[in-house]
Amino acid sequence: MDELTREFLIESQEGLDRMERCLTDLEERPEDTELLGEIFRSVHTIKGTTGFLGFKRLEKLAHTGENLLGLLRDGKLLANQPIITGLLQLMDALRGILRTVESENHEGEGEDAVLIGRLKELQQPSSVTVPVGIAIESAQATPAESSPVPQLIHPARPAPPAIPDDDTAPAPHAAKTIVASESPKLTPEVVTEAAKSKPATAASDSTLRVDVVLLNRMMNLVGELVLTRNQILQATSLDPNLTLLSRRLDMVTADLRESVMKARMQPVSNVFSKFPRIIRDLSHSLHRKVRLVLEGQETELDKSLLEAIKDPLTHAVRNSLDHGIEPPEIREANGKDPEGTLKLRAYQESSYVIIEVSDDGAGIGVERVRDKAVEKGLIAADRAAQLSDRELLQLIFLPGFSTAAAITNVSGRGVGMDVVKTNVEKIGGKVEIDSRPGKGTTLRLRIPLTLAIVPALIVRCLNQSFALPQGALSELVHIPPERASSIEWMEGTPLYRLRGQLLPLIFLDRMLSPGLQLTGQLTEGGFTRDNFIAVLDADGRRFGLVVDGLADPEEIVVKPLSSVLKSIGLYSGATVLGSGDLALILDPGSIASRAGVGVRAQDSTETAIEEDEVDSMASRFLLVEAAERRAAVPLADVLRIERIPLSRIEYIGYRAVLNFEGQLLPVEDSGGVLSAAAGNPDAPLTVVVCRDGNRQVGIAVNNVLDVAAGNDLVEAGSNHRASGVTLLNDNVTGIVDLGAVPPLPFSADQNGVETMSQQVEWGSEALA
Amino acid sequence: MSARNGSETGIALRSRSAAIATASRILEMCSVRVGSTLFGIPIPHILEIVGGATPQTVPLAPEFVGGLVHYRGDVLTTVSLRQLLGLSPTDSRCDILVLESSGGTFGLLVDSVGEVLTVSTADHEPNPSILDERRRALFAGTYKLKDGLLVMLDPERLDPIRLGGAAA
Repeated sequence: MDELTREFLIESQEGLDRMERCLTDLEERPEDTELLGEIFRSVHTIKGTTGFLGFKRLEKLAHTGENLLGLLRDGKLLANQPIITGLLQLMDALRGILRTVESENHEGEGEDAVLIGRLKELQQPSSVTVPVGIAIESAQATPAESSPVPQLIHPARPAPPAIPDDDTAPAPHAAKTIVASESPKLTPEVVTEAAKSKPATAASDSTLRVDVVLLNRMMNLVGELVLTRNQILQATSLDPNLTLLSRRLDMVTADLRESVMKARMQPVSNVFSKFPRIIRDLSHSLHRKVRLVLEGQETELDKSLLEAIKDPLTHAVRNSLDHGIEPPEIREANGKDPEGTLKLRAYQESSYVIIEVSDDGAGIGVERVRDKAVEKGLIAADRAAQLSDRELLQLIFLPGFSTAAAITNVSGRGVGMDVVKTNVEKIGGKVEIDSRPGKGTTLRLRIPLTLAIVPALIVRCLNQSFALPQGALSELVHIPPERASSIEWMEGTPLYRLRGQLLPLIFLDRMLSPGLQLTGQLTEGGFTRDNFIAVLDADGRRFGLVVDGLADPEEIVVKPLSSVLKSIGLYSGATVLGSGDLALILDPGSIASRAGVGVRAQDSTETAIEEDEVDSMASRFLLVEAAERRAAVPLADVLRIERIPLSRIEYIGYRAVLNFEGQLLPVEDSGGVLSAAAGNPDAPLTVVVCRDGNRQVGIAVNNVLDVAAGNDLVEAGSNHRASGVTLLNDNVTGIVDLGAVPPLPFSADQNGVETMSQQVEWGSEALA
Repeated sequence: MSARNGSETGIALRSRSAAIATASRILEMCSVRVGSTLFGIPIPHILEIVGGATPQTVPLAPEFVGGLVHYRGDVLTTVSLRQLLGLSPTDSRCDILVLESSGGTFGLLVDSVGEVLTVSTADHEPNPSILDERRRALFAGTYKLKDGLLVMLDPERLDPIRLGGAAA
């Protein structure tokens, strides 16, 4: 394809995009000559160039369209629905031919006579509608003496007495005024149109089309420059002469990087602009009345991401129209505006762009979601019964899910929401859904600003750095050598008990260098150095990856690997760290597969454990140590643990209190921790803040030792449950009775006098 | 020695040699040393010489992979000639020739890069039949120099994709 044709294709596509936007607007403001002018120009440009390039079909179509548009622009016809539909069809036809030209370099075979005939038919004022051109209106207005005319004449009336000669004048004069008042109405519009077209050409002069491949390459080179800069900064940090220069290099590089990033950004309006048309067509075929509201169209997103969200967004919008917004009758019956509102909103939130698709439709009935999911066998009935409303809503993202009563040609085939989710997740985004029955549904797509940069945690293993994508990381556990025993072994398989759940462990070093004997390594006998468990969640498979160390989280630029290294399977790419070192990016999913971490088995145990967890929360305790005695605090009552110096503790009488952000917290010191530390105001103190009913109580302790499950103790013989004690880690441990902590002595409003007397009493006691 | 100096700054050698290679039967070879052997690589195949690099090892990679290096914004897979020849790896820093083959760009890890030698095709001999099979697959004959042999390497045969395919 020659350069000229390519240029023509790009230009025409843009013109048609513009035309599409304008056409849907035109439906609301049929007399907007500015819009008509814009549409006219698009078609006119296509016609002009096609004639030159010899595309006969295009030329003929564009020519017919231009004729119709000319009538509209000149006010001889008023754009009505059939005309707009005709123009949309014209646009589709032009697009179709342009596509053929693009792929096959010729216009292809096709008969346009029907469309051309239809467009010609639309040009006949009488055929479809009563044309209400301005010209006709004014012609009718004068003889009929409709209301504006007398009004115009009236101001002229006082004039005749002053100039009596002109007695016959009023009528023609008035007529002239009308003509004059009509003509300026037309001229300014023509003028503005002409004025408008000038800046448009100026804008096209100041912009350039750049190949995305070139932009990608620029991006890569800038990345390279950044790294070179980092090294220069390190190398020159000692030389005062060079520091200034290297700082400037630093700044220029940062600016350059930002500019190149910006060059790849495009406003979301590029994608949003497709929706007025989609909504128009869908609402017609689904018999819905829908108003589309677009917000934040100027929000910018990386071009490749913009492409990637196009389909998910279309799915989401279709879903909203089909399942969300009810037919007008039903809406009216429910006391709603028969016209539904669909809102597309884009905004930036830190390093993400959020795109919301919200409707004021029926919302999603969670019961129906549950029933459908059970019916389709996507989830077991007993499991479904335990899910919260929020969790139930998530079920709509399961593949094969659909609540639509009937399959329509718009949606309901059970593909849709899972496609939305997978597509968005593929580009590192997230999908959230919020729905209130009867009020509407909001779908939130959270898209990272750029595709190439991924937040990752850098971990160390085998004296090498590896990057773990943050998306898969759920938590980190540090295991110092003295707690080596917390890793349990089942016939050589390491497991870690994470909040009562057994987590399969994978040792990264063992996986990466099988057969290599490593020093200080974990064995069943223990280990001699720190280990870290990164708890990962890869497509529903949970496991702990044991690494030697953790470095900083970093935003990494993903670089592809050669096919030889890709075939190893464990790495999804490589990256260059800020230090200039290379790091391989680990693929949690492949690691799980290689180690044989299953999804199904894990799922079932997880549910079982979840149930257990609920039960066991009540019997889990925080083991604390106060003055060498151990005590247990029910974990369910613990709000937080504060570490403060002893000096923060103040006294009301003999009662120790902690002034915490203006609120007083009674501090229980049954262990004598406070008195033991008295005299040393800097002594560190740990206060466990607990909930007792609706008040808060602090317990002063020396140390928090552990969280453990307690077992009930029964009295020998009687089998009565012993209260106040529990079996923790095989030791009988007393439970702190929070209820026994006396309330603080003031509630002045209620019993001020009593409090006063008590305070006096304590005062004397303290003195004594 | 000039080539050695050039390698430190990483100059591109390609354009200068292209004309000479086609004009006569005289070829320009970049000489590299691995172990005690002198190897030669036709200069037109060399994109750049990166001196004194430390490649990042890739666990679980095939043995011939010398690791990854950062090259012009991309991550380059390198092939270790030492490993290919069955020599023990060295701890010292090594030089990397960035080569272009039909499969793409890759790095060749060598002990050191020497000067550019001019050889005549008349001095070329095919691989001797007594050479072991592994080496025979890698080498593309040898050039007889005044004071020794220059073993010719063909980037196509060293391409990691090809080597990976052969290993599998």
